[in-house]
Amino acid sequence: MIQIEALSKTYRTGFLMKPKQALLSIDLKVSEGEIFGFIGPNGAGKSTTIKILTGLLRPSSGKVSVMGSSPQDPRSREKLGFLPEHPYFYDYLTGHELLKFYGSLSGVRGKLLEERIDWALTLLHANHDWVHRRLRTYSKGMMQRMGLAQAILSKPKLLILDEPMSGLDPLGRKDVREAILALNREGCTIFYSSHVLADVEAISHRVAMIVEGRIVKQGTVEQVTGGEGSEYTVRTSTGLPAALLIPGVRAILPQEFMCDSPVARDQLITACLSNGVGVERIENNRPSLEEVLTREVAKDGANG
Amino acid sequence: MDKLRRIWIIASNTFRESVRDKILYNIVFVAVALSIFSIVLGEWSVFDRAHVIKAITLSLMSLSGLLISVFVGISLVQKEIQGRTVLTLLSKPLHRAEFIIGKYLGLLGVMGTHLTLLTGVFFVILWGTGSQPEFLLLKAVYLIFWEMAIVIAVAMLFSSFSTPVLSSLFTLGVYAAGHLTDQLLAQVRFVKQVVASEVVQQNSQLMEFMAVWAHRLLPGLYRYNISQQVIHHLPIPELYFFWSTLYAIGYVGILLSVASWWFGRRDFL
Repeated sequence: MIQIEALSKTYRTGFLMKPKQALLSIDLKVSEGEIFGFIGPNGAGKSTTIKILTGLLRPSSGKVSVMGSSPQDPRSREKLGFLPEHPYFYDYLTGHELLKFYGSLSGVRGKLLEERIDWALTLLHANHDWVHRRLRTYSKGMMQRMGLAQAILSKPKLLILDEPMSGLDPLGRKDVREAILALNREGCTIFYSSHVLADVEAISHRVAMIVEGRIVKQGTVEQVTGGEGSEYTVRTSTGLPAALLIPGVRAILPQEFMCDSPVARDQLITACLSNGVGVERIENNRPSLEEVLTREVAKDGANG
Repeated sequence: MDKLRRIWIIASNTFRESVRDKILYNIVFVAVALSIFSIVLGEWSVFDRAHVIKAITLSLMSLSGLLISVFVGISLVQKEIQGRTVLTLLSKPLHRAEFIIGKYLGLLGVMGTHLTLLTGVFFVILWGTGSQPEFLLLKAVYLIFWEMAIVIAVAMLFSSFSTPVLSSLFTLGVYAAGHLTDQLLAQVRFVKQVVASEVVQQNSQLMEFMAVWAHRLLPGLYRYNISQQVIHHLPIPELYFFWSTLYAIGYVGILLSVASWWFGRRDFL
């Protein structure tokens, strides 16, 4: 669905056109049917990548393919839905007029368009009454729902969302999360950026983490949060003699032990079993995406 | 077919957006008010009243059209960029050239409506003051429409890559220059012919070269002003309208192609 190879983007800013590297040779692949979360701190390059995918920015170098076409080719956007960050719309239109406008630009017309508007509003739990009010009277949450609704009217194969949870209350976030899952069940591939990492962790098949224009981690949530630094809690049937506490293992309760690596965990289990101590439970205390991201940002800062 | 449909959608939305613009109403109101005021000026003038009304109203059409192109036209593209509505719009299967052409046609529609309204007011004034409106007046309005078609395209071109203030200044500059290039060329050639001094001859050679290129490159807007011929009933060849229309279409085509190319290369942050 999305294939990015060695993509770089340099902006020229200010009067002296000083170059600023926004993306540094990133590689990314999103397969059909995936929900792909794209995370990183502000200014890391998430929106830049998304804008390149939607043809709004031109890459400085590298290859980008969206559903087999270049993002600059309008045909690549025929089956693409896009929600920009903080969407702005013509505030003199009503919600219904806005959806008709974007729907017809996406090639949906007549009765089908009306059906799709109804479907999109229902999917997003949007109130059908306020779609006949002018957009200038909408709250941020209502505007965000309109943004999502216009993006899905053409029933896209690929949906690119830049901060879809932004400005939504917990109920709104839940609605959007459920809508993303429902669209994915219907076969839509979803690539989205978000700062709400708990949601990303809950619904994404795969994630990529970008820091200072570089992809620092990519894979399933388990892969991204696992590996080095993973901790394990091992609960035993009885207490352990102090002699069995090998390096990397510490007691947190009389029968619970924290292992700071898979190697320490395996050594502890072997020691327990060879000393006739039963192992009742092993838990992987993998860090959250937020912890991994914080660590990566700190690492990047330390590297300068 | 899809392209035409998308252009039509953008054009009709642009029309809808423009007719909500307060600046447009102010310009139209002032133009209508001044047209009516031309009756008073006609009374005060030593010239024929109908001549004065025709001269003032035709000039008002051109001037108010220029103001609409500058103050409404330039902000149309800029508003989309600054208001970030362009992000959602260009993520649809819409070619950037279709966006520029759609915006242009939408504003041309506004211009057509504005000129139709002023023509209506113009004819009512002429009837009201006992003068007979002639068909030739419609021909003059027809040419003003094409003049404005060029001016809007100039505004579109500048607003596709420049700031609103600079775009306005450039458009006003091109409008003024476009009305003067033929006079400039004539003046330079006249000086060259009558003054025999060697220094003048050498300098006028360079001046003539520059005037000829300005005449070729800048839009010949002077050809769309036929108010003197209309007022004094001077003959105008029928083919004049045909060639002027063709010239406008060609010029607009070139300007919009450049604007589309430029807009197509833009990054939207």
